[in-house]
Amino acid sequence: MARRVIAALVWALVVVWAAGAAAQPSIDELRIIAPAAPGGGWDQTARVMQQALQRAGLVRIAPVENVPGAAGTIGLARFIGAEAGRRDVVMVSGLIMLGGIVTHRSPVTLHDVTPLARLTGEYEVIAVPAASPFRTLRDLLDAFTARPESISWGGGSAGGSDQILAGLVADAVGVSPSRVNYIAFSGGGESLSAILGGQVSVGINGLAEFAPQIEAGTLRALAISSAERLPGVDVPTLREQGIAVDFENWRSLVAPPGVTAADRARLESLVGAMVASAPWREALARYRWLDRYLTGDGFSRFAAAEETRVRDVLRKFAVGKESSGAAPEPYPWLVIAGLVITGALLARQVLRSALPANNAGRAPVILLAAAAVLHLLLLERAGFVLAAAGLFWLAARAFDPRHPIRDGVFAAVVSVSSYLLFVRVLHLSLPAGVLAGWL
Amino acid sequence: MNTIELLREGFVSALSWAHLLWAFAGVTLGTAVGVLPGIGPALTVALLLPITFNLDPTSAFIMFGGIYYGAMYGGSTTSILLNTPGETASIATAIDGYAMARQGRGAAALTTAAIGSFVAGTLATIALTFFSPLLAAVALRFGPAEYFALAVLAFTTVSALIGGSLVRGLFSLFLGLALGLIGIDQLTGDARFSFGIPQLLDGIDVLILVIGLFAVGETFYQAWQHGRDAPEVIALQKFTGMSRQDWSRSWRPWLRGTAIGFPLGVLPVGGSVIPTFLSYSIEKRLSVRPEEFGHGAIEGVAGPEAANNAAAAGVLVPLLTLGLPSSATAAVMLAAFEQYGLQPGPLLFSSRPDLVWTLIASLYIGNVMLLVLNLPLASVWARVMLVPRPLLFGGILVLASLGTYSLNASMLDVVLMFVTGVVGCVMRVQDVPLVPAVLGLVLGPLAELQFRRALAISEGHLTVFATRPLCASLLALSAAVLIAPALFKDRRV
Repeated sequence: MARRVIAALVWALVVVWAAGAAAQPSIDELRIIAPAAPGGGWDQTARVMQQALQRAGLVRIAPVENVPGAAGTIGLARFIGAEAGRRDVVMVSGLIMLGGIVTHRSPVTLHDVTPLARLTGEYEVIAVPAASPFRTLRDLLDAFTARPESISWGGGSAGGSDQILAGLVADAVGVSPSRVNYIAFSGGGESLSAILGGQVSVGINGLAEFAPQIEAGTLRALAISSAERLPGVDVPTLREQGIAVDFENWRSLVAPPGVTAADRARLESLVGAMVASAPWREALARYRWLDRYLTGDGFSRFAAAEETRVRDVLRKFAVGKESSGAAPEPYPWLVIAGLVITGALLARQVLRSALPANNAGRAPVILLAAAAVLHLLLLERAGFVLAAAGLFWLAARAFDPRHPIRDGVFAAVVSVSSYLLFVRVLHLSLPAGVLAGWL
Repeated sequence: MNTIELLREGFVSALSWAHLLWAFAGVTLGTAVGVLPGIGPALTVALLLPITFNLDPTSAFIMFGGIYYGAMYGGSTTSILLNTPGETASIATAIDGYAMARQGRGAAALTTAAIGSFVAGTLATIALTFFSPLLAAVALRFGPAEYFALAVLAFTTVSALIGGSLVRGLFSLFLGLALGLIGIDQLTGDARFSFGIPQLLDGIDVLILVIGLFAVGETFYQAWQHGRDAPEVIALQKFTGMSRQDWSRSWRPWLRGTAIGFPLGVLPVGGSVIPTFLSYSIEKRLSVRPEEFGHGAIEGVAGPEAANNAAAAGVLVPLLTLGLPSSATAAVMLAAFEQYGLQPGPLLFSSRPDLVWTLIASLYIGNVMLLVLNLPLASVWARVMLVPRPLLFGGILVLASLGTYSLNASMLDVVLMFVTGVVGCVMRVQDVPLVPAVLGLVLGPLAELQFRRALAISEGHLTVFATRPLCASLLALSAAVLIAPALFKDRRV
């Protein structure tokens, strides 16, 4: 039974592998970095690109790598540090990264990478639960201007597109964005449930996320951030209602810093072919993304204007933020005080008692420490395979030094097979290092 | 048509040889990829979804149900055998599962995990079938104040895990809470205690702490303590399944784990750590042998494994009824629905009942398949413990590094893993319990965030915690949990 299961498994993995190797396209491999966890907008964009590039036969394989965290700024820092000059990798980016760079005071910015193209856009919707007393945007904004803090605005993470729109609307009606009681939630699901449950007064989110709720009548849309009414979407724009704001959450694509002009042109034409492909057009319709393909100088000018706007509104948010009800002061210091006190008590107990005996001598500990340090030094320089084999071999010798050859064989087998499984079969990324051409 | 008829139609479309084959392929792939360290359920589903795109919708959904449940299941194997949980849902399983494996009872641990997952998965899928709209409505009544109260309840319940020495237990807890301070303050977007290191902005991943403390720490400790004089030879028990006693000790934890996991899975917060640890600590509190916990109590595997599978089914409730993705995995599933032109949301059940009911039917089938697949494998996997110690620990360290690096592709994470490994070794030597640190890291940030969110919404009025009935009763319940054992103890004495 077990053997048959393993056989079925191997067969299935071969199918996965073969599916990626079917076409004969012009470019062998293009890695796509999604600077976010699986499931979000950037991840979806990256995976739709993967599908489109592979199905249209433009690229043989396009593995997606997730480097999540801090509105994409962690992915950005890594992209600049680790991929500089490479011609076979692109990263998804966009408005939210601009916000993240300002909010998290990122040392690197989008000026440090090579812009390729804007791809898509999504309009934002301001909505309230069906049971809300606010029937129109006017009702909401009257209450808001009368006492700004009494209106809680629920949306995505701090510095993201939802908060930026809340700030732009407040600014437009003459209320300082610093008085917007913005409640940041970590993801679309969490904020949507708070809005549906009436936990916050009003919610902001992308049209695609809100659309099913609006159709079902569980949410009432008060305004959409498009400049003109959208066909088939019966929601008044902000401009129609006297708020001079139009806004969209755009997503774009960047290449690493330091790519040659020829490589940049090559990537740009690849993106141009992708956005014209049928799989990409179908995906746009499915996800209700707007086609916002823009490249070259037009994209650079657009990005610069957006950066100014985002920076401006987020700065206004920060003014006098310390006085808001969400002040974090006491908790961190309570925790640190607790750690210091219990640590001191523990240290006293430990010092009074005899040191526990160990009967192994020093050699195993020194070998393990050496194994760990060597592994850390080698991992990104010499590659995963050598680093892992070294770790395995030295660690094994810490426990039993009598079988250096047996341990060496196992070290090689374990490290090579896990590398091949991750990189060749699952298309995940591990540092290849000096063995790059061999495996 | 009523629910039973709709479900029957779902089964009719799901039950054919071709479809069963797809279900089998789904659970096999889901389990196989889910077993790999550093690849959690969300990434597993994201990696495997493209395979389903070329199939007709019915086959795709059947495979899909298999991948989802398989990915959820896969993590427990490395947790039990190698003390290296591949995802947060199987952290609690590692505590007693690994202890059982070292006693040669790995097969029994894997079996109770498999059957517990099956029981919980099936019961939770039944609950999903019949009570989804009702449960979703209740879940929406939970706001930040209620989530804060829930975190407090979790804190008081799991205080049973603090261990014998109060100072040692509290030190471990505060260590976890302090690590939880690191990273971006979600409400304001300001960085806290990240010392200008970009990789710390997102905080310390609980999996890195766990892999460091548990897997690496144990390896270092074994080397320090026993080194080269191989102390024990693990003898696998001759009887490779569960004994009569194992069964009688497992079935109640399975049911209780289901009862805890399913409702908490419906709530869009906290992930799978809270239900699994709640289940673990409740089993310890209710057990007549609490001293066995941490040293191979089968209840400590049966309960959490049932809880995490029930929670996985619970996640589907808000997803299917409201279109709310309450976990990363659910968000990936949402994207998959959209591939088929399905718009999950309040109208999904009425607009495409055929596909929804096929999916639900395929969840039942996937569960059976997982049981069929994993029961015979349990005794095969358990032989891992016969691998000589040097090779076993060498392999654990490589897996730990592989898993940690592939989480975020960050060197700093691997450094942190080794550092927490040293800390874990020292804590073992000094008899400081490890579990409170993990709980502090998970529950601390959650409690703080929800508390401040609730205060911000109420414009700073603390009364919000007393005037909301659901919140007030949860807080009262936590007080009762804290006080009750003391009262009972008095009576016994």
